[in-house]
Amino acid sequence: MTTTAVTSTPPRSSKAVGGARRRRLLQPSGFLWITPALVLSSGLVYFCIAYTLYVSTLDWNGVSPNPVNVGFGNYLKLLQDPVFWLALQHTVFFFVVTFAVQTVLGLLFAVLLHSKVRLASVYKVIIFLPVVLAPAIMAPVFRNLFASNGEFNQILETVGLGFLAQPWLAQSSTAMFVLVVMNIWHSTGFAFLLYYSAMGQIEPEIIEAARIDGAGNLRVLWHVIVPGVRGTMLALATLAVIGTLKLFDIPYLVTLGGPNYATEFLGTLIYRQTVPLGYVGYGAALSIALLFLALTLSVILNLRGREKRDATVPIEAAGVGMGGKE
Amino acid sequence: MFEARSIGGKLLLQLVLTALAIPFLLPLVAMVQGSLAGLGWRNYLTVLSVPAVPLFFRNTILLSAITIVIVYALTMMAAFGFAKTRIAGKQFFFWALLVSLTLPEVVLITPLFLSVAATGLYNTIFAVLIPLAALQIPFTVLLTRTFIEGIPDSLLEAARIDGASTWQAFWHMILPLTRPIGAAIVMLTLIGTWNTYLLPLLFLSDPSSQVLTQLPGYFQGLYNDDQTKVLASAVITAFPVIVAYLCLQRLFERGLSAGALK
Repeated sequence: MTTTAVTSTPPRSSKAVGGARRRRLLQPSGFLWITPALVLSSGLVYFCIAYTLYVSTLDWNGVSPNPVNVGFGNYLKLLQDPVFWLALQHTVFFFVVTFAVQTVLGLLFAVLLHSKVRLASVYKVIIFLPVVLAPAIMAPVFRNLFASNGEFNQILETVGLGFLAQPWLAQSSTAMFVLVVMNIWHSTGFAFLLYYSAMGQIEPEIIEAARIDGAGNLRVLWHVIVPGVRGTMLALATLAVIGTLKLFDIPYLVTLGGPNYATEFLGTLIYRQTVPLGYVGYGAALSIALLFLALTLSVILNLRGREKRDATVPIEAAGVGMGGKE
Repeated sequence: MFEARSIGGKLLLQLVLTALAIPFLLPLVAMVQGSLAGLGWRNYLTVLSVPAVPLFFRNTILLSAITIVIVYALTMMAAFGFAKTRIAGKQFFFWALLVSLTLPEVVLITPLFLSVAATGLYNTIFAVLIPLAALQIPFTVLLTRTFIEGIPDSLLEAARIDGASTWQAFWHMILPLTRPIGAAIVMLTLIGTWNTYLLPLLFLSDPSSQVLTQLPGYFQGLYNDDQTKVLASAVITAFPVIVAYLCLQRLFERGLSAGALK
């Protein structure tokens, strides 16, 4: 019973015997350890979700003392709102393009920097640095870069592609391009870092064996390295989905969702409806729709990952925190 | 991973890498160049002599520091709790916490706004700090729990048999052993708070309470179309994060990959 004496909490009576019982006694009860985090995080989050659900059934401007209950009215309005569907289309497009480019670039950088190249640490810094820089800080830079007299058009003219120069941000057809470029710039470093770490865990013997069997660089990449990082890729896909659904800073600060809703996303739409326009009830309904999409998609992606048996839940969540700041 | 035996091959790898990396550097070069256009260094002097600028810095530093302390403390405790103690319904509580990982903060604006108004926190950093910490913690707990699970149970059992209380084991073993993931938590939370924009946009409207991400907007209002000042303020704001990243880089990468990949 000496072990019992040193445990700070009285041991639970357990019918388990031997090693299992000993472990029981040695593992302290831990509810107090998780309480502060649960109270702060889950407390705030679930309170907010419940409250938003309630507000989404109201026709309310946020200050009026007697809001009108409209039941599912806001949700019906949402389904008939062309801007909502437009924002969803933009979300899908944005996700597909940024994820594809970020995956290719991230993998290439990771492979190249695992090869014998000079100044590898300098390149690593250059690629990762954009991740730590706030979109709010970089937005004026990108607005200048893609202005009609900006550096991007100057570069086009220097390399003889002057006929392509145009006011990128002022046209509905090209504004989205700028946002995609900015997001790729901002998020590729994170994908690179995770791929880089994942590749470090591939056994060199496997690559060596493939080479002895006569595989060239590209075949090694495609048949050995890419399958080896599939778990990371799935994780990054989850992150990119959630990150795109969360997108606010970049479209709000670079294009304000315009011109003519050409770069409207769910985040900017919710903000516009709730804050400047004061349709708080409708904004709440949009929020619930967004939450529903985010939860459903991440559950689906996680379950599929589980089936493939290489799911690593931690990385699947790994960029969520960062994705949220996009 | 790629093998180049000939000098030409090696050169080719280096060239491809450089060509791909240059676009990542371009916006930064453009930012610095733009900030030096017109009056050159005097742009920086003008920006720094605006009385509100030190306030923006102070507010962001306070916001980041307090959030980091809260997130670090609560994350370590909770991750230890989830990894190494017995809790009835542990899985349930863990998933309850994880749900908020997928939560876009824009979803919270209405309830947060009303709570902030009701508690009189409007125009104080606490209006931003509390939701930021709450949304950061699930993610850091997830990373840290994985890391702590990798610490052998036998180590903790030995400590307990030697008479250490749970708290002593936590303080003298878990905290020192989790230093790499600790650096990752500090860095991630620093990036998150330093770069946060939506919550300050909603809750901090008075310039004396505003944070650095609002500085370009503030200068946009102040200097209208003088983009050089706006860019100079962007450089000044970006600088501390870059330095922090360069200092913590090694620890950060080690912690992130250890937490994420094991």
